[in-house]
Amino acid sequence: MRRRFLKIMLAVLGFTAFGSLLYPLARFLSATRGEPKGKQLAFKKTEIPIGAARDIVFNGTPAIIINRPDGGFVALSRVCTHLGCLVDYDKSKKRLLCPCHAGVYDLDGAVISGLPTRPLREISLKIKGDDVVIG
Amino acid sequence: MWDKIIGWFEVRIGIGELVKEGLDSCRAPKNVSIFQTIGCAALAAFVIQVFTGFCLLLYYAPNTEQAFTSVQSIMQDIPYGWLFRTMHVVGGALLLVTMTMHMLSVFVMGSYKNPREMTWIAGGLLFFTTVFFAFSGNLLPWSQLNYWQTTIATAIPSSFPYAGEFITEVLRSGGQMSALTLNRFFALHVSFLPFVFFLLLVFHLFLVRRIGISSPPFGTEPENTSPRTAYRKETYPDGHPVYPYFMVRAAFMVMVYLSVLFLLITFLPGLFLPEGSVIQANPLKTPAQVRPEWYLLAPYQMLKLIPNKFFTLSVQVIMGVLFIFWPFFDARKEGNILKRPLLFGLSLSVITLWLVLTIWGRY
Repeated sequence: MRRRFLKIMLAVLGFTAFGSLLYPLARFLSATRGEPKGKQLAFKKTEIPIGAARDIVFNGTPAIIINRPDGGFVALSRVCTHLGCLVDYDKSKKRLLCPCHAGVYDLDGAVISGLPTRPLREISLKIKGDDVVIG
Repeated sequence: MWDKIIGWFEVRIGIGELVKEGLDSCRAPKNVSIFQTIGCAALAAFVIQVFTGFCLLLYYAPNTEQAFTSVQSIMQDIPYGWLFRTMHVVGGALLLVTMTMHMLSVFVMGSYKNPREMTWIAGGLLFFTTVFFAFSGNLLPWSQLNYWQTTIATAIPSSFPYAGEFITEVLRSGGQMSALTLNRFFALHVSFLPFVFFLLLVFHLFLVRRIGISSPPFGTEPENTSPRTAYRKETYPDGHPVYPYFMVRAAFMVMVYLSVLFLLITFLPGLFLPEGSVIQANPLKTPAQVRPEWYLLAPYQMLKLIPNKFFTLSVQVIMGVLFIFWPFFDARKEGNILKRPLLFGLSLSVITLWLVLTIWGRY
């Protein structure tokens, strides 16, 4: 009886010790050091004329700010939602093109054609007077 | 002088007796095939990888500022650095090829059947560990090609619901590739994976030694394949001694491996080091036409052809599980694949499909 009790206690303690390590381990392995959150970037409106775009890195994510001819400023992640390549802005076609598998997005980030199934992630953007503030 | 040195050791640890005992107790079946020595070539290939990997470690700097330049320095400035790096790169690819051939020969000979199920599983896990070895080592030169190949490959698991994003974040150490990703891959490549590989290898070799070399089903004396109820080692009293009969053939296979390795290094040095591998990684510019390494081309092409990534990945995971646990799915006693037309046709179709997808993915 006492031996059985000891065995059960050993199992419980073993599982508890092992189990209590799992969560910290999962958090430790998925840490995202080096990606500061909550940072803001600001530009003068005049720096990006209508139809032009600027590549930026925001919170560790390659992104693009586009001054759309008919929709004003928008900030989008450049990370293609298919397999993570970076989309490029094609000014003449008013499209964002993925060089890897020919995914095509419009200037709102919505998928037009190709393998991506989700739109590009939009990054919050505000106009404050003459400034464009990202984040 | 030499005899004196040997005698000194013999008196203290009886090494001669130990070797004699080990070799006497190990015999190969009479109909042992030359293809059964491919595993020895794979083992030699792994030893070469460990040696050349250690040489590269002496000069490689695992940080994003210096990784690329340190690798270029190994190739251009360090005496014979090019040789050890090329041996490591080409040897890594050949190790995968050799292991694939070893597993194919085991499959064709039905050597995975009772009582060698665990030997097959350990071998399958060794194969996947080697793939992960190659995958983790691919990022280390921090070149434009390697960087974007890894970006694409690490994005693939994200299509799994719930755990997908987590797996990608764990692999990359965050949502995006960064200096931490390089640290992580370096740690995996030189610390964690060698440990896992070594444990699996020891277990695999222990099982081969413990159960005995399998007898191919094609010869005159096929092994008794009826399921066992008690442990029994195949001793083959009428068979050939492992030394020198089997070992000489194994040495021949190792020489074949080395010949192929040095032929490729001499005549096709750029085969596994294409143009994009000599341009430093630019995380803000994706080059056109990025493809993963050759061993991932087939699953990658499947992902390109079938838009539903979750479905495609699920099929691939199921195929992987089926591959590892194949001995339990194939319960029939017949070991000769030529006498099983359905299995033969199915295996041939899968291999052909894999090759077609790999070539299609390349072009």
